[in-house]
Amino acid sequence: MSTAMNFGSKSFKPRPPDKGAFPLDHFGECKAFKEKFMKCLRESNYDNSKCRLQSKDYLECRMDHQLMAKEPLEKLGFKDLMDPPPSQADKDSKP
Amino acid sequence: MLLPLLLRPPLCHAQASGLFTGCVRMLHCGAPQGLRFQAEKFLQRRRPHRLHARGRSRRSQNQEEEWRSRNKTVLTYIAAAGVGMIGLAYAAVPLYRLYCQATGLGGTAVAGHDTEQVATMTPVKERVIKVTFNADTHASMQWNFRPQQTEIFVVPGETALAFYRAKNPTDKPIIGISTYNVVPFDAGQYFNKIQCFCFEEQRLNPHEEVDMPVFFYIDPEFDSDPRMARVDTITLSYTFFEAKEGQKLPLPGYSYN
Repeated sequence: MSTAMNFGSKSFKPRPPDKGAFPLDHFGECKAFKEKFMKCLRESNYDNSKCRLQSKDYLECRMDHQLMAKEPLEKLGFKDLMDPPPSQADKDSKP
Repeated sequence: MLLPLLLRPPLCHAQASGLFTGCVRMLHCGAPQGLRFQAEKFLQRRRPHRLHARGRSRRSQNQEEEWRSRNKTVLTYIAAAGVGMIGLAYAAVPLYRLYCQATGLGGTAVAGHDTEQVATMTPVKERVIKVTFNADTHASMQWNFRPQQTEIFVVPGETALAFYRAKNPTDKPIIGISTYNVVPFDAGQYFNKIQCFCFEEQRLNPHEEVDMPVFFYIDPEFDSDPRMARVDTITLSYTFFEAKEGQKLPLPGYSYN
């Protein structure tokens, strides 16, 4: 931790998280999604880019079970993983 | 106030200790002397003497006035300088903070990152950074606390999820509160947590085990910072402490937001 008292020494200042703290998942409601995510990580050699779908699923599970404040997925950085809006899907299904 | 001075003129001739007291005594002594001269002037009625006395009293009066006005201006300047110094001392606190934020001296966090940028940022796919995880507990904290992955490869601009696990092996509920640290310190300013489990009390019941997620991203500007050009590994370290019932801890960095 930052205990150096000399002027000009770089010290670390912890910042609070943007959206606060996650409530604890006492009942393990989203444990299955977490297991899927961890399995994906192990298989992809811990590359986060390959497991973004699973992390999105985990966060959606948390939101469904009141363990996280509901946020649109773009605000969580999942813009590229989102499903297309229903009007476009209708257009696609009616060639 | 002048009365005791009028009654004790011999004091004027007494040796004054210190320049300031001498000056003050001279000022005060000058007044009764001037008054005395004026009294003499009216009583004696000798023209040449009167003129001479008037001239002398006027000159000494003028001198007194000069001294007085000069002293007044000097005192005013000194008082203004004193007030200015006190004002500078108060103004220095926010000014120094602004200076530190502008130059990044002393490792101060860059002035508040934009929380809306999560939605608009694009990942910098060429720059892969390894984030390693570390977990610690305070000596008296009995939880088993460890990360569920030792490392994860992320790119700046992409949100990432990581898990820690905590278990309470004792027979009584324990409340923990955690803080974190990021090394290298310079990279810490680019490490943004969207949501985590730190700085709030977390209660674990006896023999309970929970997964604790950390949702974070590295600012895309990390790639364009020349100081970060050689940084490939960032270590995130959490430490859990035991919290007492009803203890209110100040949120760190609150004053900087």
